[in-house]
Amino acid sequence: MLRVELATQLRRVRSLILLGVLAGIPVLAGVTEASKAGGRGGAATFSALNFAESGLNFMDPVLFGLIIAVFGSILGGADRDWGTLRYLYVRPVSRRRLMAGKWWALVICSALAIATFLVVTLLTGVAVFGWHPFHRGGTGDMSPATATWAILGAGGYLTICLLSIGSIALALGLLLPRSVEALGISVAFVVGSALLDNVPSLHAIIVILPVHYWLRWTQLFDGGGGGLVAGLVAQLATVVVVLTAAYAILSRRDPAA
Amino acid sequence: MASTAAVAAQRLTKSYGRHRAIEGVTFEVERGQICGLLGPNGAGKTTTMRVLVGLSRPDDGTARLLGEPSRLAAAVLARAGVAIDGPAFVPHLSGQRNLELAWMAGGRRWPPPALEESLELAGLGRSLGAKVKSYSMGMRQRLMLAQAFMGAPEVLILDEPANGLDPGEVRTLREHLRSFADRGGAVLISSHLLAEIELLATHCVVLNAGAVVAAGKLEDLLGTGSYEFEVDDVALAVAALRAMPGVRSVEARGLRLSVTAPQRTVKELNQALVTAGVGVGAVRATQSLEEAFLGMVGQNDAAR
Repeated sequence: MLRVELATQLRRVRSLILLGVLAGIPVLAGVTEASKAGGRGGAATFSALNFAESGLNFMDPVLFGLIIAVFGSILGGADRDWGTLRYLYVRPVSRRRLMAGKWWALVICSALAIATFLVVTLLTGVAVFGWHPFHRGGTGDMSPATATWAILGAGGYLTICLLSIGSIALALGLLLPRSVEALGISVAFVVGSALLDNVPSLHAIIVILPVHYWLRWTQLFDGGGGGLVAGLVAQLATVVVVLTAAYAILSRRDPAA
Repeated sequence: MASTAAVAAQRLTKSYGRHRAIEGVTFEVERGQICGLLGPNGAGKTTTMRVLVGLSRPDDGTARLLGEPSRLAAAVLARAGVAIDGPAFVPHLSGQRNLELAWMAGGRRWPPPALEESLELAGLGRSLGAKVKSYSMGMRQRLMLAQAFMGAPEVLILDEPANGLDPGEVRTLREHLRSFADRGGAVLISSHLLAEIELLATHCVVLNAGAVVAAGKLEDLLGTGSYEFEVDDVALAVAALRAMPGVRSVEARGLRLSVTAPQRTVKELNQALVTAGVGVGAVRATQSLEEAFLGMVGQNDAAR
């Protein structure tokens, strides 16, 4: 089913546009920075590695969240939107296989989104700012090799983080009548979580929201990273709870409903 | 004992909220049979088919295909060809790619065993490589039929398969279905095209308001009510039949009599003619499926 999902979804104009946006943002930012009259400014301009780190900061959490919400909701709801779900069931494809195929397709979409962004960001950064040590202001520079591992670590961490929102969108896509409804709720969840994250008095609520942990990858550039484990646990717990609930609801629901 | 028929519906009951879609629907389709599932809109045809292929869970009763219980994604469905609720495809992919993905979704390697035959039925030619979103209704319908046929199924469940097809395509479909049944396949087909079912089906199940109102061989269902007799003495025959209780009308055309007598068997009518001294050359039922259908479901229901 994974092959079917990928063949079905990755050739969609919508998917190609999303990947194009991910590739276009760093190119646009790099070109804008390079064409500035009177010199460049900001930490992002010290090297390709700084440019990549700044790019991740810019995209996380809302823009990455929106993009993976689109992938998740179309993966979950496209079969229903097209009416092909009934023909998958009679092939026959069980709900378990269907959900597994969609989940692994989501993992690949999440990794592809982050990889596309990072590869284009680094290439643009090298072309515009060059390959230099990662500048950290007062704490001394980080070697290119160490910073590259930190970027890769951040990319891996964000890929897993995106799976939590992706899973919510996927589950809603499976359960709601139309994928656009799943997309709307998922986007509202991402934006709402990001806003709530700035309200300290709501700490008790914030800590159970997966988006709260999404910026912890920055610890990798400060020589730390201990907080990432809690972040990973929060993401994986969200994925397990959401997908288990979706499967349980689907199993009890009449397929024709 | 569990039925071993190719298609078996046993006391199927299904409600959607307060609306009871079907109730106690029971019938069987054996191998080699083409069974028409008929009924006015809302009679429960599609619900029955959905339950039979596991797309709807019955509140009561059991559905079996090829002797095995049929439920959502049951393994036995791999031996069935299904077209239900109209064609549905991934619009941005070609017809060919849609068939490939539909086949591989079942965990099988491309190509399917009856691909050539099914593509011949679809008759899409070069259009098979075009995106489905550019297809006409008829092309989508033919692609759906190819999808149902390509796995060399043992049983076909087809909901309104002739929708959107032109007369030539309907004829090709009819020939394919006959050939399929002749090779031992079983077909359950729903259609509003009663004349088409009359030409095609060996058996019929008629649903009305969610219940089976008639089921059996097509010739038995047609043979209730209208007959044509070839006689040697028209005047005597007309007088004898008109004198008989339960005979609604007798019309003479040459040596042929058209008789409508829903409450009389052909044997009784023949006996009356022979007793009156009329020589009977030939007898045949002349009721069309449409007339029989309207009689079974009630003209008001059918006209709604």
